[in-house]
Amino acid sequence: MVGIPILVIVLIVIYPTIWMFYHAFHDTNMMSLFRQDWQPVGFQNFEAVLSSERFLNSLWHLAIYLTFGACLQVILGTILALILYESVKTGWMRVVLLIIMVLPMMLPPSITGILWRFLLQASNGAVNHILLNVGILEGTERIDWFSVDLSLWSLVIADTWQWTALPLLIVFSGRVSLPPAVYEAAKVDGASGYQVMRRLTLPMLREIIAIAFILRFMDAYKFVDKVYVMTSGGPAQSSELPVYIAFQTGIREFQVGLAAGYAIIIFVGAALIITLFLQYLKRVMRNAGVVD
Amino acid sequence: MATSRTTASAGQPNYRLIRYVLLAFLVIWLVFTLFPLYFAVITALKPVEEINRMVPTFWPETFRIDNFSGIFADPGSLKSLIDSIIIASANTALSLVLGTLAGYALARYLRGALGENLAFFILSQRMFPPVAILIPIFFLFDATPWGTDSYITLILLYLVFNMPLATWLMMVFFRDAPKELEEAAYLDGYTPLRAFFKVTLPLVVPGMISVAMLCWIFAWNEYLFANLLTGTTVKTFPVHIPTFVAGSQTLWNFVMAFSLVAMLPPVILFIILRRYMVRGLSLGVVKG
Amino acid sequence: MARLVLDEICKGWDFPVLDRLSLTVEEGEFFVIVGPSGIGKTTLLRCVAGLERLDAGRVFIGDRDATTIKPYRRGVAMTFESYALYPHLSVYENIASPLRARRLPKATIDRTVASVAALLKIDHLLDRRPHEVSGGQKQRTALGRTLVAQPDIFLLDEPISHLDAKIRHELRRQFHTLEELRRVATLYVTHDYSEALSLGDRIGVMGKGGLIQVGSPRDVFENPADLFAARVLGQPSINEFQAMIERDANGIHVSVADGAIRFPPAGLHASVLGRRQDMGIAVGMRPQHLSVLPEGVEAHRPTVTGSVDVYEALGATGVLIAKVGDQQMTVITPPEAHYQPGEPVRIALDRDHFLYFDRGDGRNLMVGPH
Repeated sequence: MVGIPILVIVLIVIYPTIWMFYHAFHDTNMMSLFRQDWQPVGFQNFEAVLSSERFLNSLWHLAIYLTFGACLQVILGTILALILYESVKTGWMRVVLLIIMVLPMMLPPSITGILWRFLLQASNGAVNHILLNVGILEGTERIDWFSVDLSLWSLVIADTWQWTALPLLIVFSGRVSLPPAVYEAAKVDGASGYQVMRRLTLPMLREIIAIAFILRFMDAYKFVDKVYVMTSGGPAQSSELPVYIAFQTGIREFQVGLAAGYAIIIFVGAALIITLFLQYLKRVMRNAGVVD
Repeated sequence: MATSRTTASAGQPNYRLIRYVLLAFLVIWLVFTLFPLYFAVITALKPVEEINRMVPTFWPETFRIDNFSGIFADPGSLKSLIDSIIIASANTALSLVLGTLAGYALARYLRGALGENLAFFILSQRMFPPVAILIPIFFLFDATPWGTDSYITLILLYLVFNMPLATWLMMVFFRDAPKELEEAAYLDGYTPLRAFFKVTLPLVVPGMISVAMLCWIFAWNEYLFANLLTGTTVKTFPVHIPTFVAGSQTLWNFVMAFSLVAMLPPVILFIILRRYMVRGLSLGVVKG
Repeated sequence: MARLVLDEICKGWDFPVLDRLSLTVEEGEFFVIVGPSGIGKTTLLRCVAGLERLDAGRVFIGDRDATTIKPYRRGVAMTFESYALYPHLSVYENIASPLRARRLPKATIDRTVASVAALLKIDHLLDRRPHEVSGGQKQRTALGRTLVAQPDIFLLDEPISHLDAKIRHELRRQFHTLEELRRVATLYVTHDYSEALSLGDRIGVMGKGGLIQVGSPRDVFENPADLFAARVLGQPSINEFQAMIERDANGIHVSVADGAIRFPPAGLHASVLGRRQDMGIAVGMRPQHLSVLPEGVEAHRPTVTGSVDVYEALGATGVLIAKVGDQQMTVITPPEAHYQPGEPVRIALDRDHFLYFDRGDGRNLMVGPH
C-alpha cells in the first residue's frame, strides 16, 4: 500500500532529481537537448554558479528574506496569537478576529503579489497616498517601492502580510490546548502575568512555535511565486532569489546544465537544513505522541 | 495590609499601560490585515477611470457592481475557474486516496525504524524546494503525447506537494484511531478489508476532511507551475487573472473582482472547517 | 461448542512472555487466569484469538488446529479491557456487528440483538452512542457483542476491573447466571483475586513465562504452589517472613527476626520441616489466620506481642498493621474493634494454616515430594 506513493515519489521526485544531478555535470542547453547530444563538463557549471556575483547577491537576498520573511513572521505571529488569547476573552470575538487575521492566507500567493504591486504603485498607489495623507510624505514626494533599494522589502511586506497568519493560527491553537490547571496553580502561587508568560506559556509552546518556524522557514526557502508577479527579480536583479534564477536559467533561457548547477546547490542546501530540522522534528513529534 | 495595597495600586497602571500597548498592536495589525482587502473590494467596485486617477479614492465615487459580472464577459474567466476546480479536485482525490493507503500502511504495518524513517522521508518531500524537479518535469512532460499544457501535468505535479503531506497526516490520524477497534472487528468476523471500511475509515473521516481541504486549497492557489507549464489549453485562474489588461493598462477592477471571487472557496472552507485545518497545518502536532 | 487446548505455546518480544504454556479448558468450563498486571495475561488471550502470531506451539479449538487460522475465521469472541466499542456506531450497531459480519438477514439480527440487550438490561440504550452511556453500560455492550457472536471460545479481558465497586459486584453476579457463558469454553483474565475465586470453575495463576499453578479456586488459595501464587491471591496480601528452623529438646521451632516471632509449627508441618537440611525458610501467614487477643483472654494458640502501627476500619472488617520486633504484620480484626497507634497487642497465630516456602525458588514445602 505504501508502494504506490513511493512509486509516485520516485517518478516525480527521485527521477527528476537524478536527471538534474546528471545534467549539472553536462553542458546541456536547448539545442543539445533537442539533438540528444551533450558533453560532460565536470564541475564547470558549479564553478560558474558559485563565482557569479548574481548568485552571491541572491544568497544575500535570501538571507534577508529568511530573517524577515520567516523569523519575523513567526515572532509576530506568536506575539499576536498570545495577545489575542490573553486580551480577547469573548469566544465569538476571538473566532471573528482569528478569521480576519487568517484571511490573507486564503488568497493565492500570486494574487497577493498582484494586490501589493497595486497598493505599492509609486504615483497613485494607496500606500503612498496614505503616507501623504498622514503627512509622512509631502507634495510630489513618492516612495518608489520597486526601486533597487526597496523592491526586496516590498516582497517581504507582501509575504509578511500573507503568512504571519500561519504561525499565528498554529500558536493560538497551541495556546488554547494548554491545560488550564497549570495556570490556576500559577495564579494560586501568585505569579505575575510576565512570570506566567515567561515560565509557563512560552516553554510549553516552544515546540509548537518551532514547528511553525520550520514550516515557514522551508516555505520561505523555496519562495518564488511573488517574485514572479511583483518584481520579476528586478530592478537590476535587486530582488532575485536563488530559486528564481534557477527557474529563469532553466525554463526561460534553456541553459539546462547551468540551471541544474543552481538547482543542485539549492537542493543540497535544503537537504542540509531539512536534515537538521528533521532531527528536531522527530523529537517534537515523539513528545507530542505523533510518532513512537 | 496598607503597604500591600499601595504596591498593588502602584503596579496596576503599569500593567494597564502594557495591556493597552498590546491591544493597540493587535488593532494596528488588524488594520494592516484588513486594509489591502478593503482596498481590493472597493477597487473591484470602481470604474477603471476612477482607479487610474492620480489620487486614489478611498471610497468609490461611482459604484460599479457589474464589474463582477463583467469579468465573465471574457469566456476564459469561467473556463479558468472550471480548470482550477478540475485540477484541484482531481489532485485532491488522488492525493487523498494515495495518502490514505500509504498513511494506513505506515501507521499499522511499518512501525519500526524503517517505517519511521520512511515517514520522515516522505514528510521531507513536502519541504524540498521544487526547483530541482520543475525543470526535468518540464522536459519529461514535454516528451509525453499530451505535452506540458494539459490537466494531467498539473494534477500529477501537485502530487509532489500534496501527497507527502496527505501521507504524513493520514498516518498521524490512523495512529490516533485505536488498533483495538480493528482487532475487535476481526473477532466479529470482518476480514481486514471489510474492517478497514467499516471501522477504521469512518474514524479518520475528520482527518480526511482536513487533508482534503489543505490539498484542495494548495492546488487551487498554485500559480508558479501552472504559469510555467500550462497556459493555453489549460489555464487555471491564478494564471488567468494577470491577463485582464487593455493595451498596457491593467484592468484592476476586474483583477480585484476576480480575485475576490476566487478567494471565496478557501475562505468558506476555512470558516466552516477551521478546527480540522489547524491540525493539518501543524503536521498533526496541534490537536486544535 | 468446543474445548480449547493450548499446546506449549510460546510468545515473546525482547523477552519471553509465554514460555511453553499448555492448558486445556473444557467445553462449558469457566477458567479464570489471575496474575499481576503486565505479566502477559492479555498476550495469552490475544494469542488464543489469533491477534498475535505464536512463536511456537499450537492452539486447538475442538478438534481443529487453529494455530494459523485468521482471527476472523477462528470462531473466538473477545471483550477488550478498553471495551473497544466502535465510537461511530450506536449501541445497537455495536452489538449487531458480528451478525452483520456474517450478513445475516435484518430480522434475525433485530431479534438476536433485542434478546441479548434485554438479557443485559441495556435494551433502552440501543440508539445511543458509546460515549453517551456509562462505564457499566459500555461493558454490557461489549459483552453483548461477544454474546451474539455465539463463538466456540469466549475470551474476557479484565471485563469488570475498571468499573466502580457496586457495578462490578452486579456484573460479577451476572457472569454467574449467564447461560451462554456456561455452554462454551471461557477464558477470563483478571488481576483481582476475588473475581478469580468467585467466578472460576478452575483458576490459573500466571507468573513470568506462564501458568504457575492450575486448580480449583479453593485448592489454589489454600495450597499455593509457591510464594508467588500465595502473593497473587488474597487481599490484604499474605505476610511473608524470612525464618529459621530451630531444633532443641522440645522439638522444632520456627523463628522470625531473631525470635521476635517464635512458635512450634503444627504437627504435620513439623514433620516435613524436621526433615529439612537447609534451616532457612520463608513462612507465609494470611492476615485472616492471625487474630488479636483481647486482654486477659487465655491463649490456646502460640502468640506474639507487638504494637499497633496503623489501623484501618473498613466496615465489614478491620485491618491492623502491627509492629513485631522489626517486622510488620497485617492482621484482620472484627469490625467493631478499635486500636490506637502504639497500643500493645497480643496476636494469636493460627499455625495450622501457615504456609512454608523454600527461600531460594519459593516453592511450597508442603506440596509435592518432601
